[in-house]
Amino acid sequence: MLKYNFDWSVVTSGKYFEWLASGLGITIKLSLVSIFFAFLLGLLVAVMRMSDVRPIRWIAFGYLEFFRNTPLLVQIFFWYFGSYKILPEVINNWMNTLNFEFSAAVIALTIYTSAFIAEDIRSGIRSIPREQMEAAQSSGFSYLQSMQHIILPQAVRLTIPPLINQFLNLNKNSSLAMTIGVAELTYQARQVESYTFKGFEAFTAATLVYVMLSFVITGLLTLYSKKFRNPMKAL
Amino acid sequence: MKKVSIMVMSLVVVAGLCGSLPAADTLEMVRERGVLVAGVKDSTAGFGFVDEKNRQIVGYDVDFVASIANKLGVKLALKPVTSASRMAQLIEGNIDIIAATMTATPERAKQIDFSLTYFFTGQKFIVRKGTARNLPDLDGKRIGTAKGSTSEQNAARALPKATIISYDDYPQALLALQQGKVFAVTTDESILATLLGNAPNKNQFEIPDIQISDEPYGLGMRKGDKNFADFVNKTLLEMEKSGEARKIFDKWFGPQAATTLKRGNFKITEGNRIVQK
Repeated sequence: MLKYNFDWSVVTSGKYFEWLASGLGITIKLSLVSIFFAFLLGLLVAVMRMSDVRPIRWIAFGYLEFFRNTPLLVQIFFWYFGSYKILPEVINNWMNTLNFEFSAAVIALTIYTSAFIAEDIRSGIRSIPREQMEAAQSSGFSYLQSMQHIILPQAVRLTIPPLINQFLNLNKNSSLAMTIGVAELTYQARQVESYTFKGFEAFTAATLVYVMLSFVITGLLTLYSKKFRNPMKAL
Repeated sequence: MKKVSIMVMSLVVVAGLCGSLPAADTLEMVRERGVLVAGVKDSTAGFGFVDEKNRQIVGYDVDFVASIANKLGVKLALKPVTSASRMAQLIEGNIDIIAATMTATPERAKQIDFSLTYFFTGQKFIVRKGTARNLPDLDGKRIGTAKGSTSEQNAARALPKATIISYDDYPQALLALQQGKVFAVTTDESILATLLGNAPNKNQFEIPDIQISDEPYGLGMRKGDKNFADFVNKTLLEMEKSGEARKIFDKWFGPQAATTLKRGNFKITEGNRIVQK
Protein backbone atom coordinates (compact mmCIF):
# COMPACT_ATOMS: atom_id res chain seq x y z
CA MET A 1 0.00 0.00 0.00
CA LEU A 2 2.86 2.36 0.74
CA LYS A 3 4.27 1.98 -2.77
CA TYR A 4 0.99 3.10 -4.39
CA ASN A 5 1.10 6.32 -6.41
CA PHE A 6 -2.14 8.18 -5.77
CA ASP A 7 -3.50 10.09 -8.72
CA TRP A 8 -6.80 11.74 -7.94
CA SER A 9 -6.92 13.72 -11.18
CA VAL A 10 -7.90 10.48 -12.87
CA VAL A 11 -11.35 10.58 -11.33
CA THR A 12 -11.92 14.32 -11.01
CA SER A 13 -11.45 15.37 -14.63
CA GLY A 14 -11.14 14.06 -18.13
CA LYS A 15 -12.82 11.13 -19.80
CA TYR A 16 -12.80 8.87 -16.74
CA PHE A 17 -14.68 11.52 -14.79
CA GLU A 18 -17.24 11.56 -17.60
CA TRP A 19 -17.60 7.80 -17.37
CA LEU A 20 -18.26 8.02 -13.62
CA ALA A 21 -20.68 10.90 -14.19
CA SER A 22 -22.61 8.92 -16.81
CA GLY A 23 -22.63 5.95 -14.45
CA LEU A 24 -24.14 8.17 -11.77
CA GLY A 25 -26.82 9.24 -14.23
CA ILE A 26 -27.77 5.64 -14.95
CA THR A 27 -27.84 4.78 -11.23
CA ILE A 28 -30.18 7.70 -10.52
CA LYS A 29 -32.40 6.73 -13.45
CA LEU A 30 -32.50 3.10 -12.30
CA SER A 31 -33.39 4.08 -8.74
CA LEU A 32 -36.08 6.63 -9.61
CA VAL A 33 -37.86 4.48 -12.20
CA SER A 34 -37.72 1.39 -9.98
CA ILE A 35 -38.90 3.03 -6.77
CA PHE A 36 -41.84 4.60 -8.60
CA PHE A 37 -43.12 1.31 -10.02
CA ALA A 38 -42.15 -0.60 -6.88
CA PHE A 39 -44.40 1.69 -4.85
CA LEU A 40 -47.38 1.21 -7.16
CA LEU A 41 -46.86 -2.54 -7.35
CA GLY A 42 -46.33 -2.77 -3.60
CA LEU A 43 -49.55 -0.87 -2.99
CA LEU A 44 -51.47 -3.25 -5.23
CA VAL A 45 -50.02 -6.35 -3.59
CA ALA A 46 -50.65 -4.96 -0.08
CA VAL A 47 -54.32 -4.36 -0.86
CA MET A 48 -54.57 -7.83 -2.44
CA ARG A 49 -52.97 -9.33 0.65
CA MET A 50 -55.69 -7.88 2.82
CA SER A 51 -58.57 -8.83 0.57
CA ASP A 52 -61.47 -10.93 1.80
CA VAL A 53 -61.30 -13.06 -1.34
CA ARG A 54 -59.12 -16.06 -0.52
CA PRO A 55 -57.49 -16.78 -3.92
CA ILE A 56 -56.44 -13.14 -4.23
CA ARG A 57 -54.93 -13.27 -0.76
CA TRP A 58 -53.02 -16.43 -1.60
CA ILE A 59 -51.60 -15.03 -4.82
CA ALA A 60 -50.35 -12.00 -2.92
CA PHE A 61 -48.96 -14.17 -0.16
CA GLY A 62 -47.10 -16.37 -2.67
CA TYR A 63 -45.73 -13.29 -4.43
CA LEU A 64 -44.43 -11.82 -1.19
CA GLU A 65 -42.82 -14.99 0.11
CA PHE A 66 -41.16 -15.78 -3.21
CA PHE A 67 -39.68 -12.41 -4.04
CA ARG A 68 -38.62 -11.51 -0.53
CA ASN A 69 -36.77 -14.76 0.01
CA THR A 70 -34.85 -15.02 -3.25
CA PRO A 71 -31.51 -13.20 -3.60
CA LEU A 72 -31.79 -10.11 -5.77
CA LEU A 73 -28.84 -11.19 -7.91
CA VAL A 74 -30.61 -14.44 -8.78
CA GLN A 75 -33.73 -12.46 -9.70
CA ILE A 76 -31.69 -10.17 -11.95
CA PHE A 77 -30.16 -13.12 -13.79
CA PHE A 78 -33.58 -14.72 -14.07
CA TRP A 79 -35.16 -11.72 -15.76
CA TYR A 80 -32.18 -11.14 -18.05
CA PHE A 81 -31.08 -14.67 -19.04
CA GLY A 82 -33.74 -16.97 -17.62
CA SER A 83 -36.86 -15.29 -18.94
CA TYR A 84 -35.65 -15.94 -22.48
CA LYS A 85 -36.37 -19.62 -22.14
CA ILE A 86 -39.91 -19.06 -20.93
CA LEU A 87 -41.19 -16.22 -23.07
CA PRO A 88 -42.34 -16.76 -26.65
CA GLU A 89 -40.06 -16.04 -29.60
CA VAL A 90 -41.90 -12.89 -30.63
CA ILE A 91 -41.40 -11.15 -27.32
CA ASN A 92 -37.77 -12.19 -27.17
CA ASN A 93 -37.04 -10.72 -30.59
CA TRP A 94 -38.78 -7.48 -29.68
CA MET A 95 -36.86 -7.20 -26.42
CA ASN A 96 -33.57 -7.72 -28.17
CA THR A 97 -34.14 -4.57 -30.17
CA LEU A 98 -34.44 -2.50 -26.99
CA ASN A 99 -31.83 -1.96 -24.36
CA PHE A 100 -32.91 -5.01 -22.47
CA GLU A 101 -30.18 -4.77 -19.84
CA PHE A 102 -31.69 -1.65 -18.29
CA SER A 103 -35.25 -2.97 -18.50
CA ALA A 104 -34.36 -6.32 -16.95
CA ALA A 105 -32.61 -4.55 -14.09
CA VAL A 106 -35.62 -2.27 -13.55
CA ILE A 107 -38.01 -5.24 -13.58
CA ALA A 108 -35.91 -7.18 -11.08
CA LEU A 109 -35.36 -4.21 -8.76
CA THR A 110 -39.02 -3.17 -8.96
CA ILE A 111 -40.45 -6.58 -8.15
CA TYR A 112 -37.92 -7.28 -5.39
CA THR A 113 -38.43 -3.94 -3.67
CA SER A 114 -42.22 -4.01 -4.17
CA ALA A 115 -42.43 -7.13 -2.01
CA PHE A 116 -40.79 -5.30 0.91
CA ILE A 117 -42.81 -2.15 0.31
CA ALA A 118 -46.02 -4.21 0.32
CA GLU A 119 -45.24 -5.52 3.77
CA ASP A 120 -44.42 -2.03 5.02
CA ILE A 121 -47.68 -0.69 3.62
CA ARG A 122 -49.57 -3.61 5.13
CA SER A 123 -48.26 -2.84 8.62
CA GLY A 124 -49.16 0.78 7.96
CA ILE A 125 -52.71 -0.24 7.07
CA ARG A 126 -53.00 -2.55 10.05
CA SER A 127 -52.03 0.20 12.42
CA ILE A 128 -55.09 2.19 11.34
CA PRO A 129 -57.79 1.31 13.88
CA ARG A 130 -60.40 -1.15 12.69
CA GLU A 131 -63.08 1.39 13.53
CA GLN A 132 -62.06 3.49 10.54
CA MET A 133 -62.88 0.72 8.08
CA GLU A 134 -66.13 -0.12 9.91
CA ALA A 135 -67.17 3.52 9.96
CA ALA A 136 -66.33 3.91 6.29
CA GLN A 137 -68.29 0.85 5.24
CA SER A 138 -71.26 1.74 7.38
CA SER A 139 -71.25 5.14 5.69
CA GLY A 140 -71.79 3.41 2.38
CA PHE A 141 -68.27 2.99 0.98
CA SER A 142 -67.39 -0.38 -0.52
CA TYR A 143 -64.24 -2.19 0.56
CA LEU A 144 -62.23 -0.73 -2.28
CA GLN A 145 -63.67 2.74 -1.84
CA SER A 146 -62.90 2.70 1.88
CA MET A 147 -59.39 1.67 1.08
CA GLN A 148 -58.96 4.35 -1.54
CA HIS A 149 -60.48 7.32 0.29
CA ILE A 150 -60.09 6.62 3.99
CA ILE A 151 -57.56 3.95 4.90
CA LEU A 152 -54.77 4.27 2.39
CA PRO A 153 -54.24 8.02 2.66
CA GLN A 154 -53.63 7.58 6.38
CA ALA A 155 -51.59 4.42 5.97
CA VAL A 156 -49.32 5.85 3.32
CA ARG A 157 -48.44 8.77 5.55
CA LEU A 158 -47.33 6.34 8.21
CA THR A 159 -45.42 4.29 5.67
CA ILE A 160 -43.27 7.09 4.31
CA PRO A 161 -40.34 6.52 6.71
CA PRO A 162 -40.00 2.78 5.92
CA LEU A 163 -40.48 3.66 2.24
CA ILE A 164 -37.54 6.02 2.35
CA ASN A 165 -35.59 3.15 3.90
CA GLN A 166 -36.53 0.90 0.97
CA PHE A 167 -35.47 3.67 -1.40
CA LEU A 168 -32.07 3.68 0.29
CA ASN A 169 -31.79 -0.08 -0.12
CA LEU A 170 -32.88 0.11 -3.73
CA ASN A 171 -30.25 2.70 -4.48
CA LYS A 172 -27.53 0.46 -3.15
CA ASN A 173 -28.98 -2.65 -4.75
CA SER A 174 -28.90 -0.94 -8.13
CA SER A 175 -25.17 -1.67 -8.24
CA LEU A 176 -25.98 -5.34 -8.88
CA ALA A 177 -27.24 -4.35 -12.31
CA MET A 178 -23.62 -4.21 -13.44
CA THR A 179 -23.56 -8.01 -13.63
CA ILE A 180 -25.81 -7.89 -16.67
CA GLY A 181 -23.90 -5.07 -18.30
CA VAL A 182 -25.83 -2.00 -17.15
CA ALA A 183 -23.31 0.84 -17.21
CA GLU A 184 -24.19 2.28 -13.82
CA LEU A 185 -21.82 3.79 -11.26
CA THR A 186 -20.19 0.61 -9.93
CA TYR A 187 -19.71 -0.75 -13.46
CA GLN A 188 -18.03 2.49 -14.49
CA ALA A 189 -15.82 2.46 -11.40
CA ARG A 190 -14.58 -1.00 -12.38
CA GLN A 191 -14.12 0.19 -15.93
CA VAL A 192 -11.94 3.07 -14.76
CA GLU A 193 -9.97 0.63 -12.64
CA SER A 194 -9.31 -1.73 -15.52
CA TYR A 195 -8.21 1.08 -17.86
CA THR A 196 -6.05 3.03 -15.42
CA PHE A 197 -5.21 0.55 -12.65
CA LYS A 198 -6.10 3.32 -10.18
CA GLY A 199 -8.56 1.15 -8.32
CA PHE A 200 -8.38 2.95 -5.00
CA GLU A 201 -9.26 6.35 -6.46
CA ALA A 202 -12.03 4.92 -8.64
CA PHE A 203 -13.77 3.04 -5.85
CA THR A 204 -13.31 5.82 -3.32
CA ALA A 205 -15.00 8.19 -5.75
CA ALA A 206 -17.88 5.73 -6.27
CA THR A 207 -18.24 5.20 -2.51
CA LEU A 208 -18.41 8.93 -1.83
CA VAL A 209 -21.06 9.35 -4.51
CA TYR A 210 -23.21 6.57 -3.04
CA VAL A 211 -22.89 8.15 0.41
CA MET A 212 -23.95 11.51 -1.04
CA LEU A 213 -26.97 9.91 -2.71
CA SER A 214 -27.94 8.33 0.63
CA PHE A 215 -27.71 11.73 2.31
CA VAL A 216 -30.02 13.22 -0.30
CA ILE A 217 -32.54 10.42 0.22
CA THR A 218 -32.51 10.65 4.01
CA GLY A 219 -32.71 14.41 3.61
CA LEU A 220 -36.09 13.77 2.02
CA LEU A 221 -37.11 11.99 5.20
CA THR A 222 -36.17 14.94 7.36
CA LEU A 223 -38.10 17.23 5.00
CA TYR A 224 -41.14 14.97 5.23
CA SER A 225 -41.16 14.72 8.99
CA LYS A 226 -40.97 18.50 9.28
CA LYS A 227 -43.75 19.30 6.81
CA PHE A 228 -46.24 16.47 6.88
CA ARG A 229 -46.42 15.64 10.53
CA ASN A 230 -49.75 13.98 11.24
CA PRO A 231 -51.93 16.58 13.00
CA MET A 232 -53.58 13.78 15.03
CA LYS A 233 -50.44 12.16 16.34
CA ALA A 234 -46.96 13.37 17.12
CA LEU A 235 -44.53 11.59 14.83
CA MET B 1 5.93 -5.25 33.81
CA LYS B 2 4.27 -2.43 31.86
CA LYS B 3 7.45 -1.73 29.85
CA VAL B 4 7.77 -5.41 28.90
CA SER B 5 4.18 -5.63 27.75
CA ILE B 6 4.56 -2.49 25.63
CA MET B 7 7.68 -3.96 24.02
CA VAL B 8 5.92 -7.25 23.37
CA MET B 9 2.97 -5.39 21.86
CA SER B 10 5.19 -3.35 19.55
CA LEU B 11 7.08 -6.49 18.49
CA VAL B 12 3.77 -8.17 17.69
CA VAL B 13 2.59 -5.15 15.70
CA VAL B 14 5.84 -4.95 13.76
CA ALA B 15 5.81 -8.69 13.11
CA GLY B 16 2.22 -8.41 11.99
CA LEU B 17 3.08 -5.61 9.58
CA CYS B 18 5.99 -7.60 8.17
CA GLY B 19 3.72 -10.54 7.66
CA SER B 20 1.19 -8.53 5.69
CA LEU B 21 3.65 -7.12 3.16
CA PRO B 22 4.44 -9.56 0.37
CA ALA B 23 8.09 -10.59 0.56
CA ALA B 24 10.32 -9.01 -2.04
CA ASP B 25 11.83 -12.36 -2.93
CA THR B 26 9.04 -14.67 -4.04
CA LEU B 27 11.48 -17.44 -4.93
CA GLU B 28 12.75 -17.65 -1.36
CA MET B 29 9.28 -17.36 0.10
CA VAL B 30 7.80 -20.09 -2.11
CA ARG B 31 10.70 -22.45 -1.43
CA GLU B 32 10.29 -21.87 2.29
CA ARG B 33 6.53 -22.26 2.18
CA GLY B 34 6.73 -25.36 0.04
CA VAL B 35 3.77 -24.28 -2.07
CA LEU B 36 3.45 -22.18 -5.22
CA VAL B 37 0.07 -20.44 -5.32
CA ALA B 38 -0.98 -19.82 -8.93
CA GLY B 39 -3.96 -17.75 -10.03
CA VAL B 40 -5.77 -19.54 -12.86
CA LYS B 41 -9.09 -19.31 -14.69
CA ASP B 42 -11.66 -21.88 -13.73
CA SER B 43 -14.20 -21.63 -16.52
CA THR B 44 -12.08 -20.91 -19.59
CA ALA B 45 -12.03 -24.09 -21.63
CA GLY B 46 -8.59 -25.22 -22.73
CA PHE B 47 -6.67 -22.97 -20.36
CA GLY B 48 -8.20 -23.29 -16.91
CA PHE B 49 -11.41 -25.17 -16.33
CA VAL B 50 -12.87 -27.85 -14.08
CA ASP B 51 -12.51 -31.39 -15.34
CA GLU B 52 -15.90 -33.05 -14.86
CA LYS B 53 -14.41 -36.43 -14.06
CA ASN B 54 -12.04 -35.57 -11.22
CA ARG B 55 -13.31 -32.07 -10.31
CA GLN B 56 -9.84 -30.57 -10.53
CA ILE B 57 -8.89 -27.44 -12.42
CA VAL B 58 -6.92 -28.46 -15.51
CA GLY B 59 -5.71 -26.77 -18.68
CA TYR B 60 -2.82 -25.30 -20.66
CA ASP B 61 -2.09 -22.63 -18.04
CA VAL B 62 -2.30 -25.17 -15.22
CA ASP B 63 0.24 -27.46 -16.89
CA PHE B 64 2.70 -24.61 -17.27
CA VAL B 65 2.65 -23.60 -13.60
CA ALA B 66 2.69 -27.29 -12.63
CA SER B 67 5.97 -27.60 -14.51
CA ILE B 68 7.38 -24.56 -12.74
CA ALA B 69 6.31 -25.84 -9.33
CA ASN B 70 7.90 -29.16 -10.21
CA LYS B 71 11.23 -27.54 -11.11
CA LEU B 72 11.06 -25.58 -7.86
CA GLY B 73 10.40 -28.73 -5.91
CA VAL B 74 7.27 -27.40 -4.27
CA LYS B 75 3.61 -28.26 -4.34
CA LEU B 76 1.16 -26.41 -6.57
CA ALA B 77 -1.95 -24.69 -5.20
CA LEU B 78 -4.49 -23.26 -7.66
CA LYS B 79 -6.61 -20.22 -6.91
CA PRO B 80 -9.42 -19.30 -9.32
CA VAL B 81 -9.24 -15.68 -10.49
CA THR B 82 -11.12 -13.58 -13.03
CA SER B 83 -9.83 -11.18 -15.64
CA ALA B 84 -10.82 -8.32 -13.38
CA SER B 85 -9.29 -9.66 -10.16
CA ARG B 86 -6.08 -11.37 -11.22
CA MET B 87 -3.73 -8.38 -11.03
CA ALA B 88 -5.09 -7.18 -7.69
CA GLN B 89 -4.70 -10.67 -6.24
CA LEU B 90 -1.06 -10.82 -7.35
CA ILE B 91 -0.13 -7.38 -6.08
CA GLU B 92 -1.76 -8.04 -2.72
CA GLY B 93 0.15 -11.27 -2.31
CA ASN B 94 -2.76 -13.72 -2.39
CA ILE B 95 -1.15 -15.49 -5.33
CA ASP B 96 2.47 -15.76 -6.42
CA ILE B 97 2.02 -16.02 -10.17
CA ILE B 98 -0.74 -15.34 -12.69
CA ALA B 99 -1.41 -18.02 -15.30
CA ALA B 100 -4.83 -16.91 -16.47
CA THR B 101 -4.91 -16.19 -20.19
CA MET B 102 -3.34 -12.83 -19.44
CA THR B 103 -2.22 -10.70 -22.37
CA ALA B 104 1.07 -8.91 -21.79
CA THR B 105 0.71 -5.21 -22.56
CA PRO B 106 3.07 -2.30 -21.90
CA GLU B 107 0.46 -0.61 -19.67
CA ARG B 108 0.07 -3.72 -17.52
CA ALA B 109 3.86 -4.09 -17.47
CA LYS B 110 3.96 -0.85 -15.48
CA GLN B 111 2.22 -2.61 -12.60
CA ILE B 112 3.57 -6.17 -12.84
CA ASP B 113 6.28 -8.09 -14.66
CA PHE B 114 5.57 -10.57 -17.43
CA SER B 115 7.44 -13.75 -18.28
CA LEU B 116 8.41 -14.62 -21.83
CA THR B 117 5.39 -15.09 -24.06
CA TYR B 118 4.15 -18.63 -23.60
CA PHE B 119 1.13 -18.50 -25.89
CA PHE B 120 0.25 -16.39 -28.87
CA THR B 121 -3.17 -15.62 -30.27
CA GLY B 122 -5.23 -12.72 -31.59
CA GLN B 123 -8.52 -11.05 -30.75
CA LYS B 124 -11.42 -12.14 -32.91
CA PHE B 125 -15.22 -12.40 -32.84
CA ILE B 126 -17.91 -15.07 -32.69
CA VAL B 127 -20.98 -14.18 -34.76
CA ARG B 128 -23.98 -16.02 -36.15
CA LYS B 129 -22.98 -17.75 -39.38
CA GLY B 130 -22.90 -15.38 -42.28
CA THR B 131 -23.72 -12.18 -40.41
CA ALA B 132 -20.30 -10.55 -40.55
CA ARG B 133 -17.48 -10.81 -43.05
CA ASN B 134 -15.26 -7.86 -42.25
CA LEU B 135 -14.74 -5.24 -39.56
CA PRO B 136 -17.23 -2.58 -40.78
CA ASP B 137 -19.99 -5.21 -40.51
CA LEU B 138 -19.51 -5.11 -36.77
CA ASP B 139 -19.50 -1.37 -36.23
CA GLY B 140 -22.54 0.13 -34.52
CA LYS B 141 -23.61 -3.28 -33.17
CA ARG B 142 -23.73 -4.68 -29.65
CA ILE B 143 -20.60 -6.65 -28.76
CA GLY B 144 -20.27 -8.77 -25.62
CA THR B 145 -17.05 -9.45 -23.74
CA ALA B 146 -15.71 -9.94 -20.20
CA LYS B 147 -14.92 -7.25 -17.64
CA GLY B 148 -11.33 -6.27 -17.10
CA SER B 149 -9.97 -7.84 -20.29
CA THR B 150 -7.86 -6.25 -23.01
CA SER B 151 -10.66 -7.33 -25.39
CA GLU B 152 -12.89 -4.63 -23.91
CA GLN B 153 -10.47 -1.83 -24.66
CA ASN B 154 -9.36 -3.12 -28.06
CA ALA B 155 -12.94 -3.54 -29.23
CA ALA B 156 -13.85 -0.04 -28.06
CA ARG B 157 -10.88 1.33 -29.99
CA ALA B 158 -11.47 -0.68 -33.18
CA LEU B 159 -15.24 -0.17 -33.25
CA PRO B 160 -15.95 3.32 -31.97
CA LYS B 161 -19.65 3.25 -32.80
CA ALA B 162 -20.34 -0.17 -31.30
CA THR B 163 -21.87 -0.71 -27.85
CA ILE B 164 -19.54 -2.84 -25.75
CA ILE B 165 -21.32 -4.79 -23.02
CA SER B 166 -19.04 -6.35 -20.42
CA TYR B 167 -20.33 -9.34 -18.53
CA ASP B 168 -18.71 -11.02 -15.55
CA ASP B 169 -17.20 -13.84 -17.60
CA TYR B 170 -17.17 -15.35 -21.09
CA PRO B 171 -19.83 -18.06 -20.68
CA GLN B 172 -22.34 -15.32 -19.88
CA ALA B 173 -21.31 -13.34 -22.95
CA LEU B 174 -21.83 -16.45 -25.08
CA LEU B 175 -25.24 -17.00 -23.50
CA ALA B 176 -26.15 -13.43 -24.39
CA LEU B 177 -25.04 -14.11 -27.97
CA GLN B 178 -27.14 -17.27 -28.17
CA GLN B 179 -30.17 -15.37 -26.89
CA GLY B 180 -29.66 -12.64 -29.44
CA LYS B 181 -28.90 -10.00 -26.84
CA VAL B 182 -25.57 -9.17 -28.47
CA PHE B 183 -24.49 -9.39 -32.08
CA ALA B 184 -21.00 -10.75 -31.41
CA VAL B 185 -18.70 -11.91 -28.62
CA THR B 186 -15.10 -10.82 -28.75
CA THR B 187 -11.96 -12.01 -27.03
CA ASP B 188 -8.80 -13.97 -27.81
CA GLU B 189 -9.31 -16.52 -30.55
CA SER B 190 -8.12 -19.30 -28.29
CA ILE B 191 -10.82 -18.59 -25.74
CA LEU B 192 -13.42 -18.14 -28.49
CA ALA B 193 -12.56 -21.48 -30.05
CA THR B 194 -12.84 -23.35 -26.77
CA LEU B 195 -16.02 -21.45 -25.78
CA LEU B 196 -17.64 -22.38 -29.04
CA GLY B 197 -16.31 -25.90 -28.99
CA ASN B 198 -18.31 -26.63 -25.86
CA ALA B 199 -21.47 -24.87 -26.98
CA PRO B 200 -24.43 -27.09 -27.85
CA ASN B 201 -25.50 -25.20 -30.96
CA LYS B 202 -22.06 -24.39 -32.33
CA ASN B 203 -23.13 -24.97 -35.93
CA GLN B 204 -25.09 -21.73 -35.91
CA PHE B 205 -21.97 -19.71 -35.13
CA GLU B 206 -18.59 -19.08 -36.67
CA ILE B 207 -15.38 -17.16 -36.08
CA PRO B 208 -14.75 -15.08 -39.21
CA ASP B 209 -11.25 -14.02 -40.14
CA ILE B 210 -11.44 -10.58 -38.55
CA GLN B 211 -8.59 -9.91 -36.17
CA ILE B 212 -8.18 -6.66 -34.28
CA SER B 213 -5.09 -7.24 -32.19
CA ASP B 214 -2.27 -9.58 -31.26
CA GLU B 215 -2.55 -11.20 -27.87
CA PRO B 216 0.73 -12.54 -26.46
CA TYR B 217 0.12 -14.33 -23.15
CA GLY B 218 2.62 -13.92 -20.33
CA LEU B 219 2.79 -15.31 -16.83
CA GLY B 220 2.33 -12.45 -14.35
CA MET B 221 4.68 -11.83 -11.44
CA ARG B 222 5.18 -9.03 -8.97
CA LYS B 223 7.32 -6.12 -10.07
CA GLY B 224 11.02 -6.12 -9.27
CA ASP B 225 11.05 -9.79 -8.34
CA LYS B 226 14.15 -10.55 -10.35
CA ASN B 227 15.10 -13.95 -8.96
CA PHE B 228 11.65 -15.39 -9.46
CA ALA B 229 11.24 -13.88 -12.93
CA ASP B 230 14.62 -15.24 -14.06
CA PHE B 231 13.76 -18.67 -12.71
CA VAL B 232 10.40 -18.73 -14.48
CA ASN B 233 11.89 -17.61 -17.79
CA LYS B 234 14.68 -20.14 -17.53
CA THR B 235 12.12 -22.88 -16.92
CA LEU B 236 10.04 -21.72 -19.89
CA LEU B 237 13.08 -21.83 -22.21
CA GLU B 238 13.97 -25.31 -20.93
CA MET B 239 10.41 -26.44 -21.56
CA GLU B 240 10.62 -25.20 -25.14
CA LYS B 241 13.98 -26.88 -25.74
CA SER B 242 12.90 -30.22 -24.29
CA GLY B 243 9.71 -30.19 -26.32
CA GLU B 244 7.53 -30.10 -23.21
CA ALA B 245 5.97 -26.80 -24.25
CA ARG B 246 5.00 -28.25 -27.61
CA LYS B 247 3.58 -31.35 -25.92
CA ILE B 248 1.40 -29.26 -23.62
CA PHE B 249 0.14 -27.29 -26.63
CA ASP B 250 -0.71 -30.46 -28.53
CA LYS B 251 -2.42 -31.91 -25.48
CA TRP B 252 -4.90 -29.05 -25.28
CA PHE B 253 -5.00 -27.62 -28.81
CA GLY B 254 -3.49 -30.28 -31.03
CA PRO B 255 -5.25 -32.49 -33.56
CA GLN B 256 -6.79 -34.82 -30.96
CA ALA B 257 -8.04 -32.03 -28.70
CA ALA B 258 -11.59 -30.71 -28.55
CA THR B 259 -10.49 -27.47 -30.18
CA THR B 260 -7.64 -27.26 -32.63
CA LEU B 261 -5.45 -24.23 -33.00
CA LYS B 262 -2.35 -23.75 -35.06
CA ARG B 263 0.92 -23.27 -33.22
CA GLY B 264 2.61 -22.25 -36.45
CA ASN B 265 6.10 -20.92 -35.99
CA PHE B 266 5.57 -19.86 -32.40
CA LYS B 267 8.36 -20.75 -30.02
CA ILE B 268 9.12 -19.54 -26.52
CA THR B 269 12.22 -17.46 -27.06
CA GLU B 270 14.19 -14.77 -25.32
CA GLY B 271 13.00 -12.18 -27.81
CA ASN B 272 9.32 -12.78 -27.03
CA ARG B 273 8.85 -10.49 -24.12
CA ILE B 274 6.68 -7.42 -23.42
CA VAL B 275 8.07 -4.76 -21.09
CA GLN B 276 6.78 -1.40 -19.95
CA LYS B 277 7.16 1.45 -22.40
